[in-house]
Amino acid sequence: MNRKTHRVKWSGLLDLTQSISGILLAIFLWVHLCLVASILLGAEAMQWVAKTMELSFLSADGHGYPWVVTVMAVLIGVLILLHVLVALHKLPLTLKQQRALNKQMHVIPHEDTKLWRWQAITGVIVLLAAPVHLWLVGAAPETIGPYGSADRIWNQGGWLLYVPLLLAVELHAAVGIYRVVLKWGLAGDDMTRIQLRKAKSIASAIFILVGLASLVAFMPHAS
Amino acid sequence: MNQQTTSMSPENASGRLLNFHIFRYDPQQKGDKPRTEVYQLRETPGMTIFIALNQIRQQQDPSLQFDFVCRAGICGSCAMVINGLPTLACRTLTSKFKQGDITLMPLPGFELIGDLSVDTGKFMRELAERLKLWLHPHHHEIDVHSIEAPMAPEQAAALYELERCVECGVCVSACATKQMRETFVGAVGMMKIARFELDSRDGRTAEDFYHVIGNQDGVFGCMTLLGCQDNCPKDLPHMQQIAYLRRKMAATIL
Repeated sequence: MNRKTHRVKWSGLLDLTQSISGILLAIFLWVHLCLVASILLGAEAMQWVAKTMELSFLSADGHGYPWVVTVMAVLIGVLILLHVLVALHKLPLTLKQQRALNKQMHVIPHEDTKLWRWQAITGVIVLLAAPVHLWLVGAAPETIGPYGSADRIWNQGGWLLYVPLLLAVELHAAVGIYRVVLKWGLAGDDMTRIQLRKAKSIASAIFILVGLASLVAFMPHAS
Repeated sequence: MNQQTTSMSPENASGRLLNFHIFRYDPQQKGDKPRTEVYQLRETPGMTIFIALNQIRQQQDPSLQFDFVCRAGICGSCAMVINGLPTLACRTLTSKFKQGDITLMPLPGFELIGDLSVDTGKFMRELAERLKLWLHPHHHEIDVHSIEAPMAPEQAAALYELERCVECGVCVSACATKQMRETFVGAVGMMKIARFELDSRDGRTAEDFYHVIGNQDGVFGCMTLLGCQDNCPKDLPHMQQIAYLRRKMAATIL
């Protein structure tokens, strides 16, 4: 009996959890952004997307269930918490470690290590900003739509949160996926690595542009 | 262009003047402080950092400490940080640096002997003992009369590829993970584990290897910063090898 508890392979489990939770969060992030970007097609399109996400097609009156969004917010929050708890093992948390990293970057300024440092920095920004975003939408799911969201972003100062969150999370996710692919050997030789690096930069750039364009597109709907 | 006739003395040479900014510190000497000293040297055709250092020591400063043995990229002794890149001094041509300014630092992460000389041997020995980096045969009793099992040429070639490691310490120095986590085994440790994992003569199972590197000081502590992959002077496939071990070790969970 005792043998079983002793044999839990925590290090491996944690590393797997970090990669898998990261992949799930990245997929969610990109799908989420595509859905929000429906505002670029106009208020009706976004309204339709928002209602569909509330499963309006399942309710008799066609209004859907806004609490579905709250449930999603809670689930994503839990996934983020899991990802953070595991990723924390990798961050330099002590002064000694931070000094070692700074000294290392000074003596050997290696590109992919710099990239990782940005991933760590953006990770902390997301950690701080994402819960606020989740709370805002999770607590008032019925307001999500062209007019409610526009009001939140432009009248209540939401953009102050969303712009840094968008920049940080899109950089973090793309670098993260790039690293997961290399980490588990899903890409082949160095040539694929260069292409992969390019692809991740393009993905970050496109999603940031689409995100910023969507934020701007909400502006006319803010009364 | 009669560069062929350049002599060893800097006055007669026709090459450009190189500025070597060299880290100097002797921990054995009381009161000595880390500093950078600048040495000037005329470049000669085909000059490597190794040749330049020998000239500086011969002609300018006999107290300069650095390591070398083979001058051909085989012994792994002369690794140092050259303009921010950890690599072998004997395989780095001075002509690579267009500016003519060359900064030399000792490899970080190792015990400093003095100036550019570090004790990689001590680290490598401790690592070998910790990870048990030697062949563990299937059977402990040795029968000298039994015929050795043949090895497929492909497997022999794969092993040889990993055996090319010269233990220069570059992968350890280039790894920020290792700098932040002193007990991390680094690419050299994982490369050697992978070498025995591939060896059909080694009796250890994936489960046995998990006990050695299936932790945050081993393969699961690697953050894939790829300093090892990008700097290894022998171009060993560290990225693929660590990924292979990671998959192998993760598979033991299932």
